[in-house]
Amino acid sequence: MPYKILDKKELAMNEVWYKIHAPHVARKVRPGQFVVVRAFPNGERIPLTPVTWDREEGWITLITFVRGKTTMRMANELKPGDELLNVAGPLGNPAPMKKFGKILAIGLITGMVEVFPIARAWQEIGNEVTTLHVTPNPMVILREEFENAVSRHIVEGFDLQPGWGMNEIAQELVKRAVAKVKELLESEHWDLVFIVGPAGGQKAVFNVVKEYGIPMEADLHPIMVDATGMCGVCRVTVGGEVKFACIDGPGFDAYKVDWDELIHRTGFYAPLERLALEHYLKTLQAQGGEQ
Amino acid sequence: MAVRRKLIKERVPTPERPPKERVKDFKEVNLGYTFELAVKEAERCLQCPYEYAPCIKGCPVHINIPGFISKLVEYRDNPDKAVREALRIIWNDNTLPAVTGRVCPQEDQCEGACVVGKVGDAVDIGKLERFVADYARKNGIEEELLCEFEEECTGELGKVAIVGAGPAGLTCAGELAKMGYKVTIFEALHKPGGVLAYGIPEFRLPKEILDHELAKLNRLGVEIKTDHVVGRTVTIEELLQEYDAVFIGTGAGTPKLLNIPGILLGRIYSANEFLTRVNLMKAYEFPEYDTPIAIGKKTIVIGAGNTAMDAARSALRLGSEVTIAYRRGREDMTARIEEIKHAEEEGVQFEFFLQPVEFIGDENGRVKAVKFERMRPLEERDKRGKRKIVGTGEYVTLEADTVIIAIGLEPNRIITETPGLKTNPNGTLVVDENLMTSIPGVFAGGDAIRGEATVILAMGDGKKAAKAICDYIEKKRAKANA
Ligand SMILES: Cc1cc2nc3c(=O)[nH]c(=O)nc-3n(C[C@H](O)[C@H](O)[C@H](O)COP(=O)(O)OP(=O)(O)OC[C@H]3O[C@@H](n4cnc5c(N)ncnc54)[C@H](O)[C@@H]3O)c2cc1C
Ligand SMILES: Cc1cc2nc3c(=O)[nH]c(=O)nc-3n(C[C@H](O)[C@H](O)[C@H](O)COP(=O)(O)OP(=O)(O)OC[C@H]3O[C@@H](n4cnc5c(N)ncnc54)[C@H](O)[C@@H]3O)c2cc1C
Ligand code: SF4
Ligand code: FES
Repeated sequence: MPYKILDKKELAMNEVWYKIHAPHVARKVRPGQFVVVRAFPNGERIPLTPVTWDREEGWITLITFVRGKTTMRMANELKPGDELLNVAGPLGNPAPMKKFGKILAIGLITGMVEVFPIARAWQEIGNEVTTLHVTPNPMVILREEFENAVSRHIVEGFDLQPGWGMNEIAQELVKRAVAKVKELLESEHWDLVFIVGPAGGQKAVFNVVKEYGIPMEADLHPIMVDATGMCGVCRVTVGGEVKFACIDGPGFDAYKVDWDELIHRTGFYAPLERLALEHYLKTLQAQGGEQ
Repeated sequence: MAVRRKLIKERVPTPERPPKERVKDFKEVNLGYTFELAVKEAERCLQCPYEYAPCIKGCPVHINIPGFISKLVEYRDNPDKAVREALRIIWNDNTLPAVTGRVCPQEDQCEGACVVGKVGDAVDIGKLERFVADYARKNGIEEELLCEFEEECTGELGKVAIVGAGPAGLTCAGELAKMGYKVTIFEALHKPGGVLAYGIPEFRLPKEILDHELAKLNRLGVEIKTDHVVGRTVTIEELLQEYDAVFIGTGAGTPKLLNIPGILLGRIYSANEFLTRVNLMKAYEFPEYDTPIAIGKKTIVIGAGNTAMDAARSALRLGSEVTIAYRRGREDMTARIEEIKHAEEEGVQFEFFLQPVEFIGDENGRVKAVKFERMRPLEERDKRGKRKIVGTGEYVTLEADTVIIAIGLEPNRIITETPGLKTNPNGTLVVDENLMTSIPGVFAGGDAIRGEATVILAMGDGKKAAKAICDYIEKKRAKANA
């Protein structure tokens, strides 16, 4: 089934935006839901989130953080006019659309992408939404879109230092997020905190929020394969019970999530992911050499 | 009636690749009959009369077994003709013989009933069925027969939506297309086939065979929409507005996991995740294929059904030592006998009467051992005729750096959450004698109503539902016109 790439551009460092013809998803998708994409015949299935959509024109937009082989291949090899092989969805449960009151919605790096449709919808139904984006400065995205959609949008950016690897970035990210969230919780009243981002960062922020006893929701990102409830790789422990994030989530009560286990399970394939990326970089080099 | 033949007790064996060679790859293990060998085996059939033949009764879709076997003998001088006539007879009742000939538990079905089996080896009906299908596919014989079928497929009688492209859905679709309906299948994954695509490995069912069977459906005018998760992409309610009837064949794809300490440790897979990565995503060709799989040196597979055998033999092929741990005894295993034999030949170890009670992790949060309680069988039997077991209070711990859990599957939840659709306590859909669910016009079959069962039972349901759907639509029309 053809899912044409209608448009594509690089929004910021390692942040690529795609506009895709997928009427079956556009018709139905609601904030909080995601799709599974397969881009290449020998490719894997990866979960991504529709950021905006047009039900009538039948398109959705996706923003990917170029972090491993698949997202890099997509960034390098796909042009407008090409087709994605598979776009399955919408998947997962929509975020609860209720009047909570004053909401702080936090996105860490590309997690901000997923915050967008949810925060906008919450604002539209009468909540007062503040969004907070914690990210390296070269990766700031959707600033204007957020400013237009919610009550207040805060960007907590930081510069990347020469010689920093993923670990240093992650540490800085957590440090900044924790400090900023503390500041906001200290100075204002909140009815709900919501967060999307790497599990380590989510946990650190949760530990702060917990001290204030404010209700908190988190969209979880365990590894997924089918994302239709058939394999259980996305299992997480919530309130002592095993749940499948793809069909029971991705949103859960942060107070009930077993964070350490999630952090640990998300890291499983790290060595193989590196191998896949290296393999891809090598083939790129080999191709470069022939030219 | 055919002349009574002399009873030959021993089966003509089918050639198999030697275990040492085959554990190195995912290519098919059993090579099947040649025409000469097939004729020799066919001659062992006593040609019981159609009304009595126990094999026909043993086959869930009642293929005219002596009928197709006799053609191989009758036209032994003309292989093409022999196969064409045999295939025509098989297709009357079963349009996926290349699949069923490979995966049916024949020892419990047709072959279990065969009279020759009472004094010697049963006629190898499965391998003969498979031979006919394979020969026909390779020699362009299906083509001629398909043309005959194609003419009936007008698509004019009405529109039917099928949910799930497993054996149940595919069969229902094929039958309805042949009756003259326009059929659309909605499939959640990117590839149709259900368990045939993501569960059963290449060494038992090569994917080219599945692809070929799917292409046949295409010829009959069936449309398959992949990436469509019914319940999310489109609901049953919406389908009912556009289609005259709906068939649900969503299977039992949700893995049961053990509710014991350590279940979320690293390298503990459900068999479904493991097999999906290996079969559907070809993780065994990583990094040529992008999907990874992490497997260690010592694997324990828990369970003893087909799923467990498939997982064990796949793990072996990825270079691990493999032990199957089962809570009951050898004779209680539910996998096909042929697969158990193949697993043993390939070097899978078996441990019986072990019930896992805990997974033990290392400092990195990965599994390093499994603690089991030793079980003991009782004389008493449960509803399925299996011996009951009790714990002995004695424990053993086996080392393993990978664990695959294959203790069963439950129906997929996305579909059972449809408002108005009644389910049983175990999650299967409630249907009446016509396979109609609690929603009028919505039918269901296969694992979705039975729980984990077999390919041929799913196909039988698909076929029965097709007839019921046809009746339903005709009645509805008649009422509307009256
Ligand atoms: C519900 C959901 C929505 C998501 N939405 C977005 C989005 O809108 N934009 C975006 O950039 N990313 C999103 N992600 C994360 C995204 O799926 C991963 O970044 C992507 O799989 C990385 O693939 P890769 O091959 O480039 O990287 P690799 O790190 O090489 O990933 C290889 C494998 O690991 C799995 N994997 C790795 N990290 C993750 C992760 N964090 N979450 C899930 N699976 C992972 C993938 O399934 C893949 O099979 C989402 C994840 C989930 C679960
Ligand atoms: C590893 C393994 C080995 C097996 N080996 C054998 C064997 O040797 N012999 C044998 O006879 N049986 C075997 N079985 C059992 C057999 O495969 C099943 O009984 C049979 O496949 C059931 O067919 P089905 O059509 O009901 O369901 P399935 O084959 O499960 O197909 C269901 C399909 O529906 C799709 N689906 C699910 N939910 C939705 C939704 N909401 N929307 C759209 N699509 C959906 C799924 O993706 C899938 O493609 C085995 C099973 C497994 C798991
Ligand atoms: S029961 Fe056995 S011998 Fe009799 S017809 Fe069937 S296959 Fe032949
Ligand atoms: S991703 Fe397979 S069950 Fe959730």
